[in-house]
Amino acid sequence: MSASTGTRLARLEHVSYWYPNQDEPSLREVDLEIEPGLTLIAGDSGGGKSTLLRLFDGLVPQFHGGRVSGRAEVAGLDPFRTPIPQLAQRAGLVFQDVETQSVYGTVEREVAFGLENLGLPRAEMHDRVDEAMAALGIESLVGRRLETLSGGERQRVQLAAVLVLRPQLVALDEPTSQLDPEGAAALLAACLGLAAGGRAVVVAEHRLETLSPAADRRLTVEGGRVTLGAAELPGLSGVAPARPPAGDPVPAGEPAWELRDVVAGPAGRSREPVLHDLSLAGGRGEVVALLGPNGSGKTTLLRTLAGLLPPLAGTVRRPAGRTAYLPQNPGALLHLPTVRAEVALTLRRTGSGESPEPILAAFGLDLLADRYPRDLSSGERQRAALAATVAGSPTLVLLDEPTRGMDRAARRSLAAAVETLTAGGSAVVLATHDTELAAELADRTIELRGGLAVERARGAVADETPLSGGSR
Amino acid sequence: MTGPPAPSRATAAARTDPASRATRAPHAPLAPRAWLVWSLAAVTVALVTDNPVYRGLVALVALNVLLTWLPPGRRVRPLAVAVLVAATLAALINLLAGHTGADVIARLPERLPLVGGPLTLESLAFGGAIGLGLVAALFSVAPLSLVLEPHDVVDAMPASLERTGIAVATSLNLVSGFGRTFTEVRDAQRMRGWKPAGLRSWNEVLVPVILTAIEDSVRLAEAMEARAFGAGRRTSYAASSFGAREAVVVAAALAAATLFVGLRIAGVAMDWYPYPTISLPPIHPLLVLACLGLALPAFPLPTHRSAAPPGRSA
Repeated sequence: MSASTGTRLARLEHVSYWYPNQDEPSLREVDLEIEPGLTLIAGDSGGGKSTLLRLFDGLVPQFHGGRVSGRAEVAGLDPFRTPIPQLAQRAGLVFQDVETQSVYGTVEREVAFGLENLGLPRAEMHDRVDEAMAALGIESLVGRRLETLSGGERQRVQLAAVLVLRPQLVALDEPTSQLDPEGAAALLAACLGLAAGGRAVVVAEHRLETLSPAADRRLTVEGGRVTLGAAELPGLSGVAPARPPAGDPVPAGEPAWELRDVVAGPAGRSREPVLHDLSLAGGRGEVVALLGPNGSGKTTLLRTLAGLLPPLAGTVRRPAGRTAYLPQNPGALLHLPTVRAEVALTLRRTGSGESPEPILAAFGLDLLADRYPRDLSSGERQRAALAATVAGSPTLVLLDEPTRGMDRAARRSLAAAVETLTAGGSAVVLATHDTELAAELADRTIELRGGLAVERARGAVADETPLSGGSR
Repeated sequence: MTGPPAPSRATAAARTDPASRATRAPHAPLAPRAWLVWSLAAVTVALVTDNPVYRGLVALVALNVLLTWLPPGRRVRPLAVAVLVAATLAALINLLAGHTGADVIARLPERLPLVGGPLTLESLAFGGAIGLGLVAALFSVAPLSLVLEPHDVVDAMPASLERTGIAVATSLNLVSGFGRTFTEVRDAQRMRGWKPAGLRSWNEVLVPVILTAIEDSVRLAEAMEARAFGAGRRTSYAASSFGAREAVVVAAALAAATLFVGLRIAGVAMDWYPYPTISLPPIHPLLVLACLGLALPAFPLPTHRSAAPPGRSA
């Protein structure tokens, strides 16, 4: 925790980088200096944010291969040539997905993994683990298994696992995209604390509102180019077409979908149901948002409504026609050679005679239509999966965390697509942590807590989140 | 920022988690390396003999040890069911395809390929012994995944195999993700109009699941690399607590394995061959004792060298 003021910790000069077998560089002529304090990186998905962060600890180019030009220095080391284990003690990286970055099953062991790799004596390891966990306020998690932690707790454990190596620069790649608002707030508070302690903290995020006021500097990465200062961050409301106020009320007695006295959850005698006697309904053309912390039953509700999970009790009614369902982590379902083929498959399967082009255009995928979906950035993949899911004029659309990992452009196209769907009479149910999205799109907001549903009046969502500004 | 977040739940759990394990288990945890030796010894015994008495004893002893140490929240039932199905299959296949032995139970028409001919008691018994070996071997290694944590497995490995241990540990970590991805992709494809129809149709589920698993592995490899994996000689966070109890368990396990291997080499009868006419398997008291010695981890043993010898097990 050397509080060195004003010293630069990292410097890039004319750095360009090409992933293996790519003609187009992912970073172009980047000139950049990173100093202690908080640096925010904005920019659309696929623009090069993740690649830039991986430069600092040598993963790009050393782990990923490819070609690099220009000069770089991170805490006095050349990240292009210094062995990664050595760089790891100067620059750390916390990844987006909490699950694919944990090695062990319990908290302290996970935090200590990097120290074991360095071959430190045990006593020093214990000191460093205690120190890192205290710095993040997670001492109370000692002894816990990772799988019992919330997303926010897990992400802080991963941050501690990087801090034990005592890096001067800590980068976080969209660390809150999978967290509920409470978890995200705790993680971002931890980042602020580290920055105040004299480290350089570099955070790439789509949703920068919380950190923005505290940032010492802001960068934007777009098309592989880095510019100083943040791009304007308009709220969704500035871009999405304004909805007619309130819309049509739900036709009384004629909902499009209905859950009546539903008890649902995994089958098995010893397991507690996740939903208890839940009754809910939604009308044609209506958008219902489900809010609630991780584990509150949002996904169970959607799967029950989709017919994927038979209810343990109660009845489920869906409208005639196709039901579209976007699972969490939807990028997983893509497997065809092109994005267009994915959309075409859904259209063919659902007996729709439509062409894939209008849907591709609606999601801004025209230019990506011939790309292999798995080569896309996480945000682009999310959009491709969404297009492949909602194609074929569904009458009921169920979306589980549709904005997870999405950038502004993708959120805008999602908002527009929901408009189009509801205008055509589709009923939409979306589960989300994104209160801003809920406030913007939803006709009704339902909060799930402990398997019970609480209806919130329209506009009430905005009151709880300083982020969305309460524009309604 | 460092205000204690929700202390009630977190600290309570932190306190009860190790404690609950201690209340279920008869004594403090056994060192991972002792587990590894015990498992290897038990597997050796199960495989070096085909005498169903010894194999059965090892299976019972291993199951007992497993149940004694099973942490709360983990279940033996899925494993037990799988193992019993495999053992039953082994017995049935040998019964149907063996056709040797004097005691004929039934006959299948000769024109049936492979299974046609006499079905004998000897074939059934020998198949049963094979199945029993399977049960014993699997129950013997089960603690490595059901009782130990992934990091315990890494700790148990000798230094030269530590990287292998980590590869195993991390792949175990990814298994739960694999199952979840499978469900998610199957659900998602179904909602896109996919229906299971024949083996080929499963490509649409399996291909994306496998692609995702590969991507997850690469991501994990990247994350490990970013945390200095591969720097050189590693150390372990956990103190190796190799005490008297571990010494006793390891000694008994090694004695059992050595005895079985030694007597096998010396040619002392510990095999059992039911053909042509079935007979009771021979029993050697020393070998029975050796098998029972493998049960030591299931009994509370004194922590101090000075305490009474572990005499209650026999």
